[in-house]
Amino acid sequence: MNYTELQLTLDPDFADILTAELAELGFESFTETDEGINAYIPEPDFDAEAVAEVVARYSGQTAIGYVVNSLEKTNWNAEWEQNYQPIEVVTEGGMSARVRASFHAPDGAFTYDLVINPKMSFGTGHHETTHMMMQHQLGLDHVGKAILDVGSGTGILAILGLKLGAANALAFDIEEWAVENAIENASLNDCQQMRVFQGTIAGVDAAEQFDIILANINRNVLLAEIPTYVRHLKPGGQLLVSGFYETDSPDIQQTAGAVGLTKVGYLTRNQWASVVYQK
Amino acid sequence: MAKEVAGYVKLQVKGGQANPSPPIGPALGSKGLNIMEFCKQFNGRTQDKMGMVLPVLITYYKDKSFDFVIKTPPAPIMLMEAAKLKGGSAQPNRNKVGSVDWDQVRVIAETKMPDLNCFTVESAMKMIAGTARSMGITVSGAAPWDN
Repeated sequence: MNYTELQLTLDPDFADILTAELAELGFESFTETDEGINAYIPEPDFDAEAVAEVVARYSGQTAIGYVVNSLEKTNWNAEWEQNYQPIEVVTEGGMSARVRASFHAPDGAFTYDLVINPKMSFGTGHHETTHMMMQHQLGLDHVGKAILDVGSGTGILAILGLKLGAANALAFDIEEWAVENAIENASLNDCQQMRVFQGTIAGVDAAEQFDIILANINRNVLLAEIPTYVRHLKPGGQLLVSGFYETDSPDIQQTAGAVGLTKVGYLTRNQWASVVYQK
Repeated sequence: MAKEVAGYVKLQVKGGQANPSPPIGPALGSKGLNIMEFCKQFNGRTQDKMGMVLPVLITYYKDKSFDFVIKTPPAPIMLMEAAKLKGGSAQPNRNKVGSVDWDQVRVIAETKMPDLNCFTVESAMKMIAGTARSMGITVSGAAPWDN
């Protein structure tokens, strides 16, 4: 998706006020410049009239000038991606997986070899949460199972699930670039049994149920959606969650317990947590 | 041995909503930092402040690692929250559309004290009240120092 950059020239005393006003209009993030501030918003959400109205509102108090630029969708992560080191995930049970980019040579010492070119999507195993989800997965029986990957990013968890023997995987993400990237990574790993769509859990057929649901997202989304995931989980199925800090674990536990889930696995890594629940 | 600092990046991002688009993408990507790692960490740490603009100061190191400090929201954001406003007044000096009381101004002033060039809470409160007036937000009641 393209972004709109609004470059504002203004008195520094009004920088915070305009930041607050533009945040109300949906601008997501801001940087200070020598002349004032730059504000950023997804292009479809940019409302030129609303911006003009806000600027006009303060024109009696201070002089504000602005320029609107369109920023094309770009892989900003390319620099990091070129230099990323492969990630190795090993369990106490002796299972192992290695995540590498397509420019790294494979290493036969590992049970599972995953090729992930992440571009701007999340999920390479570098982050604690992905690492723990993979650790949990390596200890779970996936053979012949149907899996669902919620907020799939690069698609790494669904791809590992298929390599572990899952019959099929459904993955989705709200971000357009993540969906494109997951499809690309599924192809790199020859995962033909993987379907990917752009959307949320609401886009999954209400009657469709899975043996394993993987959700590495964040606390708020998990608290809101765990009851829905449970409806999509077969009896005896497992829900793997992460994306929250250890300090948020009690809240997650309360929500999961209230919908009849039992905690069967728990990992922490550098203050992040990951839990396996069983229905 | 302490890691060698390569530089700093200063941004303002809505809580829980960091994503790899501009300005985060280009700001971090151009330095070879892992953008998605930052987004996941920032969003994880700001789940209680969803949608609120938060200044964040990122320190990055020669080895391409980074850490960051999240600061308190800008005073106008806190004033809008306190006055439950959707945007300031259409005509700030005439049409007052929202109000806060001096207790709310004190809370904001105390929260912002570390970031303001003020020696006393009272002077910080005067500064916050001035910002409120610029935005068309009335501060109701008599100022504590007038009593």
